[in-house]
Amino acid sequence: MANVVSVTFDIASFTSVMVLIVLGLGVIASMMGIFNFAHGEFVLLGAYTVYLSASAGLGLWFGIVAAPVVVGVLGLIMERLIIRRFYASPIIAMLGTYAIGLVIRETVRGLLGGHYESIPEPIGGAFSIGGVNFSIWRTIIIIATVAVLSGSWWMLAHTPIGLRIRGALENPMLARACGISTSRLYGLTFAFGSALAGLAGALIVPLYQLSADIGIRFLVQGFLSVMLGGVGTFSGPVLGAGGVGVMASGLPWLVPPVLADPLVFLIALVIVKIRPQGFIGAART
Amino acid sequence: MKEAKTGFTPSRRGFLSGAGALATAGWVGGAAAGWVLRPAWAHAAGPIKMGIATDITGPIAPSGNADWQVAQFTIEQINKDGGILGRPIQLFLEDTASDPNVAVGNVRRMIQEHRPDVVLGGITSAMRQAIKDPIVTRGRTLYIYPQLYEGKECTKDLFCTGPTPAQQCDKLIPYLIKTVGKKRFALPSANYVWPQVLNKYARKVIEANGGEVVFEEYYPLDQPEYSATISKIKDGKVDCVFNTVIPPGLQPFMKQLYESGFQKNGGVLTCVYFDENTLNYLPANEMEGLYSCLDYFQAVDDPFSKKLQEDYAKRFPNTKYLFTAGAAATGMYRGIKFYEAAVKETKGDLHRDAVAAAMDHAVIEHGPGGGAAMVPGHMHCKMNMYTAICRINAGKPYYEIVDKADMVDPREC
Repeated sequence: MANVVSVTFDIASFTSVMVLIVLGLGVIASMMGIFNFAHGEFVLLGAYTVYLSASAGLGLWFGIVAAPVVVGVLGLIMERLIIRRFYASPIIAMLGTYAIGLVIRETVRGLLGGHYESIPEPIGGAFSIGGVNFSIWRTIIIIATVAVLSGSWWMLAHTPIGLRIRGALENPMLARACGISTSRLYGLTFAFGSALAGLAGALIVPLYQLSADIGIRFLVQGFLSVMLGGVGTFSGPVLGAGGVGVMASGLPWLVPPVLADPLVFLIALVIVKIRPQGFIGAART
Repeated sequence: MKEAKTGFTPSRRGFLSGAGALATAGWVGGAAAGWVLRPAWAHAAGPIKMGIATDITGPIAPSGNADWQVAQFTIEQINKDGGILGRPIQLFLEDTASDPNVAVGNVRRMIQEHRPDVVLGGITSAMRQAIKDPIVTRGRTLYIYPQLYEGKECTKDLFCTGPTPAQQCDKLIPYLIKTVGKKRFALPSANYVWPQVLNKYARKVIEANGGEVVFEEYYPLDQPEYSATISKIKDGKVDCVFNTVIPPGLQPFMKQLYESGFQKNGGVLTCVYFDENTLNYLPANEMEGLYSCLDYFQAVDDPFSKKLQEDYAKRFPNTKYLFTAGAAATGMYRGIKFYEAAVKETKGDLHRDAVAAAMDHAVIEHGPGGGAAMVPGHMHCKMNMYTAICRINAGKPYYEIVDKADMVDPREC
């Protein structure tokens, strides 16, 4: 029993990490039709902000709070300067965002001197309930993910800005005709997606090492999640991330770990083949 | 081509190190035609030409830059003392860019353009495999490989100056079993050649000493989640984890292991590539009590090693690139000194076969961690090996030497 609880906890915590990372990617892909290949580097920038804040003596918490703001603002600037020129051609957008990501990644690698840096959890250690150990920071990540998810959902479903975003998503032409500035909405959406990536990076970096490649690892699985869940809705990518997260952390219990990685892709591709619209897309049509 | 002279003007030197930092960042695209570091003085017969092929850019850059700095440092010392039999050494640097495909072309060009008398370098085994052909076979040049590795490299004219599995396991594992009292081993590993071959050897030593391998398992290099492994460690009552998981998979593994209470419950962790560079890789509490076994630690306090470290710090103040064993820097120093000893024996004859014959039994009196001696006919060297444990003082981790073995045999070839 204790074993089942701890396995469930481990799977839940890794799935939360996946969901947290994919959320921003999914929001941008669904709302704007742009696959942001620099998403992994936005995650990296979030992590790097925490590192900078800690080394400047401002502390870890300050960095974690500052990360979404810093990365969100950077995202907004990038959208205004570069990304908005790509809306007409999604393929070019992939190349363009990939280039942006490369620049960010190599710059940070240079600033870190290529080294790995360990960043401690603001609250480390574990607590135990009924003889089972739970890592405090992983618990915080699970809670933060649930909070961010409900917050984002509430914003989309119950606020005027959410209504406009949904409107612009359903029919951009009609939304513009109704006097909604889709260009401004897109800017905000991109900034919001970037901020989510920054927050994800700040929260997960204590679990991993800060290195220039921290985002790449999750980028590929992130895209897989979006494919799996389907583009065009809020819940699709989240479900997709959940699926990939559960598979990636659950499969090593069943098969040798080196096989688990390719198996995740195999299973996901089979599902995508059967349901090309993704979980939610299929339900809708 | 960019050029600079050793011991010339501070501004040139500043330029060189600044450019080196840029190159590290990957901001200078592979330093297109390599670097030349000329000696400050000349000799009628011309300088001895030494090629350094190492990873100045890319993921392995921190180690590669350390190797390059140690090479400069060692050559400057030799040149200051009059060179080898009066001839100065001129250094050529070629960036292998952490990418064997790029490296092959760069190294071939260096060999053709400069005809070096010897090449030192390569850090990963993949890199060594890639560049040994352009250097040794087609380039007909002596090659010295400085990094600790999985062994089994027995190519003619290729000498290895870093520790082998036998050197890292033969003393450490009996120490863990007999002195520390741990019997049940787990071998979690990154899935590439070094852990696979090292584990084969480690398993033999563990079983020969009355220990038991509970499981041996391989992971993708960047696996972020290890709960299944941690549970096997718990259920298998493992009391010693012989880790060869490397970054970026390293930290999540170590964190989950620590959080599972492994160390708190008396488990011991050992990791034979850990040197002073890796002290920052993990939070201090996760590092505490970790064992490593290398040919040198900065805690080694023989007068020569201490002086070497002080001089290096003077030459490269506040450098990010430390003179450590895990970065192949100690192997680099040893390799250059072996070469110096061999050329002295040939009385200045630089022909490959003559120098190789002398290299075969070369001995160096002093080095980081002590002297070393090539084992004749085996292409590897005997050296002192140190077992160290990581301790924490005021939140800062450091190594304390707990065991020293003199002139351990490499048992290769």
